[in-house]
Amino acid sequence: MTILTIDGYWRDLVTAALLGTDRREPPVPPEGVLADLVADAVRPDAASRMLATVGAVAAAQRASFVPLPTADPLQPPETDSRPFCPPAATATWRTVAAYWSVLEDEWVLTVIERGYRLPPDVLVELLMRHRNDPVRRARIALAGGPLTGWLINQIPELAAIGGRIAAAEAVTALPELAIPPELSALVGTDPHTFTEQLMAGFRAGAYGAAHRAVLVNLLARCRPAVLVDAAKALTTFGYGQALALADLANLRHRMLTELGS
Amino acid sequence: MDAARWTIEQVAAVAPTPRAIVAAEPLAVDARWSGLGCDARALWGRCRGGGAEPYEAMVDHVEVAWRCTCPSRTLPCKHALALMLIWVRGSVPESAPPARVTNWVDARNRRVERAPVPTASPGDREPAGPGTDPPAGLPAEPSDRDEIDRSRDERVARMMEGLTELDRWLEDRMRTGLADPALSSYTTWDSLAARLVDARVGSLANRVRRLAGLVGASPDWHADVLAELGMLHLIAQAGRRLQSLPGPLADAVATASGWQVRQADVLLGVPETDDWFVAGRSDVREDRIEVRRVWLRGIASGRWAMLLSFAAYRQTLDDSFGVGTVVRVDLHRYPGGSLRALAGRQHAEALPILIPPAALTIAEACDEIGSAIAAEPWLERFPATVRATSTIVDGRWVLGDQTGCLALLGSVRAVGTLAAATAGAQVTLTIEWTPHGVTPLTLHLPDRTLDVGPRADSSFIGAA
Repeated sequence: MTILTIDGYWRDLVTAALLGTDRREPPVPPEGVLADLVADAVRPDAASRMLATVGAVAAAQRASFVPLPTADPLQPPETDSRPFCPPAATATWRTVAAYWSVLEDEWVLTVIERGYRLPPDVLVELLMRHRNDPVRRARIALAGGPLTGWLINQIPELAAIGGRIAAAEAVTALPELAIPPELSALVGTDPHTFTEQLMAGFRAGAYGAAHRAVLVNLLARCRPAVLVDAAKALTTFGYGQALALADLANLRHRMLTELGS
Repeated sequence: MDAARWTIEQVAAVAPTPRAIVAAEPLAVDARWSGLGCDARALWGRCRGGGAEPYEAMVDHVEVAWRCTCPSRTLPCKHALALMLIWVRGSVPESAPPARVTNWVDARNRRVERAPVPTASPGDREPAGPGTDPPAGLPAEPSDRDEIDRSRDERVARMMEGLTELDRWLEDRMRTGLADPALSSYTTWDSLAARLVDARVGSLANRVRRLAGLVGASPDWHADVLAELGMLHLIAQAGRRLQSLPGPLADAVATASGWQVRQADVLLGVPETDDWFVAGRSDVREDRIEVRRVWLRGIASGRWAMLLSFAAYRQTLDDSFGVGTVVRVDLHRYPGGSLRALAGRQHAEALPILIPPAALTIAEACDEIGSAIAAEPWLERFPATVRATSTIVDGRWVLGDQTGCLALLGSVRAVGTLAAATAGAQVTLTIEWTPHGVTPLTLHLPDRTLDVGPRADSSFIGAA
């Protein structure tokens, strides 16, 4: 029996099974192996005969697993000569996205600046993650290259929600973060001054839980050169909030190092 | 020693049926056995079946008793009978008994000494031997082994009842038809699943619950449900004929039905030591449990194996085998040459794979998958590593090459990542076949491995 006749017979079986053997007799199998098999399985009633047939045909169909006809491949997007960002940077992006999303904008901008492009998995996840943020989507388009538009054309679920357009200057600049005046002075300082003044505040008990957000913002925007010293000092201090900030400082340092900044 | 050796007629006399001797004959050849030995009290040996794990058989030819690690409920089983047949033909060498045999004989001796009344217990599962009176001091109270045997017999009986009931239920579905509104109620399926759990055929209960999810799930759901009902019928029928099936197939059917094998017993089996490539991972929620399948392929053997782990709410799934790595480890397969295995001793640290694995064409993958299904039609998943590209046919994603296409399943994340990675070109990827299509699990790109397989809900488990 050919595959086609099995398929045709299967359709008849599905129709009969929809109605049930109380209302319709099971179809007679086409001549061949299957008919012999069903004939061998002498059953007392139509329902059990039908069940035996269904089992045999379903097994035969699955075992005769053949591909569908060939299909044309998709037209590829324009080539992008930039390399994918390193696998280690991708792993770091996952940590950033999961725990310290304040660093995400800087990660994407650094990828663009260092001449990398987004790997396939990160590109898709970023498009899904920022469907209604025009600025971030514009950055993703830059980092993803021609593949981004091509992919969105193929998979509408990745398209933006809303038709807002991002301002060009917003796309290429890091967004401003809220940092109070007494801390903003530290943003451009050298490692020694930064660490001394930050830790002086901790030692004086000046930073409570309410300061967490602004301290996070400070460590996300301070000069990269201060990160290693600040992380060491915060770790040495050993206080819960200081340890969390040390983790942020270490992660940002790693992120920038992996991307070659 | 020779004076005590039985005759072939005596062996035939202890066989539960004449057919049991016929089934034992093919196993009564030296090539199937290792570690054969006998002494004045017992004989022992390991019989290699179709699976990785040999069965350990031993026979007390003085007190007339037998023991085997196979799941057969027939006593003596064909392995014990085969061992006796080899012995009566003089092919079992005399040697010192291994510890497992000494322990077994000692335990039997202790039970005999403890027994106050030398009468045979009706519950004794180790029958008296040929041409002998019932041995003095047979246990009056149930021994541990008797308890185990009785428990196994009860379990087999419940399993058979469950399979019979399942088949009756399936016939009712054929009678009333798939348009029966009762099928759209989860209770219909859940109550059947609960009865199957009672019958200790948990795998079938899970399968029934998964089947409930197919109702109304797609425009072709009637065909999908009907095919799955057919598969349940095949397992129910095969399960009821377990004793007449060839060993490996019987083991496979028992596993598909939900026959539990202790992990300790699996780990006692002969290991397959290889450099195992961790090709893919797939998490699926089954009822209230997350199930993780990790697919491994032996670099030397080319054989597939699967490690399963489970996590209930807030528990953690096993992530000790990282996708895209190679690890030299002993794998112990479940009986019947099963895909499912347990990891034993790890010989070296896992390393990232440097050369992408050999990949099949789509047609070759279909052949490989079809062969696996032909051997076990009730298989629900099977992996393959192929080189192909994703493309669109009639608005649906497919995975194709110059030999054909396969319907693609998967989340937007998985299909999108595959599309972005291929972008009209071919890549090497590991897929998981299901009756409804193939799911991409892993993309093996030149400089990285992307794990895109279905992932457990992180709000359900402790860590994915």
